[in-house]
Formats: sequence, structure tokens, C-alpha cells
Amino acid sequence: MMEALLLTGLIAALILLRQNLLVILGAAVLYVYSAYGDDPLRFVVLDAWHALNKDILLSLPLFILAGQVMSRGAMAQRLVRLVKAASSPIPGGLAVATVLSCALFAAISGSSTVTLLAVGGIMYPALLREGYSKSFSLGTICAAGTLGIIVPPSIPLILYGVMTRTSITDLFIAGLLPALVLTLLMSGYALWFNRRMPAGELDWRELWAALKEGVWALFMPILILGGIYSGHFTATESAAVAVVYAFVVELCVHRELKLADSHEVIAGTTRVLGALFPVLMFAVSLNTFLTYQQVPMAAVDWFSGHVADQRSFLLGANLFLLLVGAVMDIGSAVLILAPMLEPIARALAIDPVHFGIVMIVNLEIGYLTPPFGLNLIIAMGAFKTSFLETCKSALPFLGLMLVGLLLVSLFPALSLLLVG
Amino acid sequence: MILHRQTAKRILRGLDRVERGATTCAFLALIAAMFMDVLSRELTGVGLHWARQAGVYANVFVVMFGLGLASAGGTHIRPRFADNWLPARWGPVIERLQDGLMSLFCLFIAGLGSQLTWESIRLGERSTLLPVPIWPVLVAIPVAFFLVGMRHAIYAAWPGLRPPDPLKVNDKSTIKGAP
Repeated sequence: MMEALLLTGLIAALILLRQNLLVILGAAVLYVYSAYGDDPLRFVVLDAWHALNKDILLSLPLFILAGQVMSRGAMAQRLVRLVKAASSPIPGGLAVATVLSCALFAAISGSSTVTLLAVGGIMYPALLREGYSKSFSLGTICAAGTLGIIVPPSIPLILYGVMTRTSITDLFIAGLLPALVLTLLMSGYALWFNRRMPAGELDWRELWAALKEGVWALFMPILILGGIYSGHFTATESAAVAVVYAFVVELCVHRELKLADSHEVIAGTTRVLGALFPVLMFAVSLNTFLTYQQVPMAAVDWFSGHVADQRSFLLGANLFLLLVGAVMDIGSAVLILAPMLEPIARALAIDPVHFGIVMIVNLEIGYLTPPFGLNLIIAMGAFKTSFLETCKSALPFLGLMLVGLLLVSLFPALSLLLVG
Repeated sequence: MILHRQTAKRILRGLDRVERGATTCAFLALIAAMFMDVLSRELTGVGLHWARQAGVYANVFVVMFGLGLASAGGTHIRPRFADNWLPARWGPVIERLQDGLMSLFCLFIAGLGSQLTWESIRLGERSTLLPVPIWPVLVAIPVAFFLVGMRHAIYAAWPGLRPPDPLKVNDKSTIKGAP
């Protein structure tokens, strides 16, 4: 009991002293190894090394690099032009185009914040110019920007797969329909909200020109998802192909990336990896120790005695994860909580792939939850709006995403239908 | 003191160059190994049995030396919900403490990592798929943590050299200036 109190105190003190998660998690791992284990402390690093020495992790650096390369040039403009041209005859078409552009760009960049800034930078001023309300425009950009979390290739889904030994390929395929549901919910709301906006005419010439310009970008998600879904590539192989494809398109076709810039793109990607992987190493190290001490099994036993059915567990897990998503970064939340919650879900006969999707959708909502929702903070800085105004604008979309979460939680088929 | 600050600045620039060089080379090796594996399988029907292990080893260098680049860019993941719980005037002291503790932690892990590397050399551990000993890869852990420990010790001594918080920078930037 004393050890647990000291551990809690140590973590609280480190958070107060604004320590990086690496130090907080690392110190916690060192503490539990010395307080509860018999092995020398170098075993912490040995477990961390074993975490790193896995080929399943290789898709992470490759997908992140492919996203960085593709986001470097004018890819967002190309996609926006195409989607705008296609949705111009619909009343409120520009709002729908914003949601669809975010979903498409997210499938290429793999990042919510990059999507928010790249697509939002073009669409937010365009929406205001066309007479859409400021609050609606801001909310749409903030909410649609989060689609990058669930649209494959999603980095949090890879992290969930690594931490729970669930197939990343299955998780990617399972993410497709929930991503579609969320996109449809947001597009439907955009249509309803802007039903009195004037509709334009479909300009076939503009559509063709936009298609010719955007076809290389559009082919990227087809290459990744088609390769994985057809069983031709594993997630790691498709990541390798995506990187080479991204470099070839940006260097030779679009010519928006110079060879000299590649060095900076790689350095930028490495900064992301350097922040993520060491945390992952210590998270795996902690998980290994907890498993060795049979903690997850004890938790499963406890939950089996207290939680009657799947729905009660899912309801509790949803509330807990929504709370966590509001205060914690998504990567850290997946690394720390996925290995603890997944065995309980599995013991209650909840498919680990389905639970992974539920978990990620929950944490995706955290991007829109005040006071620490990352998209709110970034939008506030980027679009020069007040925090209160940004939060208010996101509220209707928060409601829509909660509806999406409910659907994904209650209907496992949404996640599992396409999984073989 | 000014001279010392300049030396510290030079050390940081040198560290940056070493880490950038190492990670770029390792990243290119990782891409090459993984893509050659796919290409070989497509062309000859047989993948390269060593490619994944080579990719894993290259990735170790990418992420370990990337740790220093993350420090240089201020991109480490940090829980921020308690940032305003202590008085604002304590900020400078807390920032120094933050770097000091990070430095101590990294140097401690570097020490544990060097013990592990030494043990691997002593036992003559070799890779199962590649005809190489493991320690030249394993040594990336203590070396990288040592370099990051040095970097944060410099930030603790000269707080003016620490990178700005990217999220605080974002608050002031427009969409054009945002990363």
C-alpha cells in the first residue's frame, strides 16, 4: 500500500514539475521494478530493447514519413479543388467539400493536426468568403480535422495493434466503416445546416482539370488500402511502398519537393518518432513487468466479478476514455491504457479489433474536448479565435461524434464487417 | 560566462549535426531494406529474409538519435493539464528543474544501457537473422540517452538555449506560420 502511495506521489510530483511523459513513465517503470521486482534495474532497458526489436513497429516510421512527404507540397490544394468541383451543385456543397477533403487528406497524411492546418488553411477563409457562418466553419474544420485519427493509415491504430498484439491490417480495415459513418454524420449535418445556401452548377471542365491534377494524391489511399485489403501487402509493406510512392510523386511528378528538402522532411519525421518511440519502449517495459506480475489477469478477475455484461463494460470504458481523452494525449493514452483494458474486453468476449476502434473513436473525441483538445488549441492559434468561441463552435460536432461513438460501440458489425 | 554560453551553443549545434546525419542515413537504410524486400518478392517471388531485421536495426538508430532531435525541437509529449497549478512566477525555476531532471533521467538510463551493452559483448550475442553481433546496435541506446542527457544539462544551465514550446508558439502564429 505504501509503495502504491509513493508511486502516485512520484507521478503527481513529476506532472506538477512539467516533466515529459518519457521521464514520468520511465521513473514509474524504474520505481515498480525496484519496489515490486527482484531483477536488476538494467532489465528495464532490456525490456525496452525487446520492445524496439520488433518488425511490427516498422510501419510507424514509414507511414509517418509518407504523410510528411505528401503534406509538404500543395497536396491539400489539389484535393480541395477536386472535392469542391465535385460538390459544387449541392446547397452547402463547400461545407461538405470541407469534410470530405479532411477525410481524404487524413487518409494521406495520417495526422489530425496536419489535416486541420493544411485543409483548414484553405477552406476556412473560403467558407467565410462564401457566406458560411464563422462558428459553423470553425467547428467543421476542427471536427473534420479529427478524422485523421480513425481513417487508415492511423498512427494510434498502429500503436493499439503493437501494444495489444492485434493485427494492424485488421484494425486498418475495421477503421474504414466507422470513419465513413463519422464522415457521413458530419456531411449530413453540414447539408442540413446549410440547406438554404445557394447551389452552384457542375463545371465539368473544372472537374476534369481538378481530377487530372489530384489523381496522384487520390491514388495514395487506394494503393495503401487496396494493397492491404486485397491481402497483397502487409501494413509494413504498404508503408514502404507508400513512402517510395510519396517521394516519387512529390519529387518527379508534382515537383513541389526538392531533393535538398528531403533531409528536412526526414528530420521532421524523426522528431516525431524521437518523441513517440522512447515512450513506447517504456510503456512496453511496464506492460511486460505487469504481465509478469499477473496484474492484467487480476484485473480481469476483478472485473469479471463486478461487471455483468459487455454493454456495462463498454459504457464504463467509454465514459472513462472520454475523460482520459479530455486531459491526455492520444498516443500516451493508447500506450498506457490499451494493454490494461484490452484483456478485460477480451475476457468479456468483446473482439479486440472492435474494442480498438471504440477506444480510438473515444480518444478522437478528446481532440474536441475542452480544455486540452489539441484541435481546439491549434485552431484557436491558427484562426485567431478565442478559446470560448472555438469550444462553442465545436459543440454540435462533439454531439455528432458522440452519436458516432454510440453507433460504433453498439454495433460491432460496423467495425468487423469488412474484417475477414 | 558569455564564452561558456557560446561553447554550449557550439556543442548543441554539433549534437544536432551528428543526430541529423545519423537519423537520415538510418532512415534511408530502413526505406531501402523494406522496399527492396517488397520489390524482390514482386519480381522473383521470394522476399529478402534479412530485410526486416536490417530494417528493425536501422529503426533503432532512427528513433534513438531522433530522441535528441525531439529535444532540440521541443516536441516531446508532455501532460499539460497541471501547467497552471503552480504559481506562474515559479515558471523559470520549474523549467530549469524540468531540464535538470530530464538530464539526470537520461544519464541514468544511459548507465543502465551501457551495462546491458557490456553484458551483450561479454556473452557474444549475435543476431539470429543477420551475421552480426547485437552490441553495435544496442550501443545506440546508451549513446543516444547520454547525448540527450548532455543536451538537457546544457538547457538547465543556459535556459535561453532551450527550444520554445511549439504549442505556445502556435498560440501566436497565423495559419500561414503554423507548422
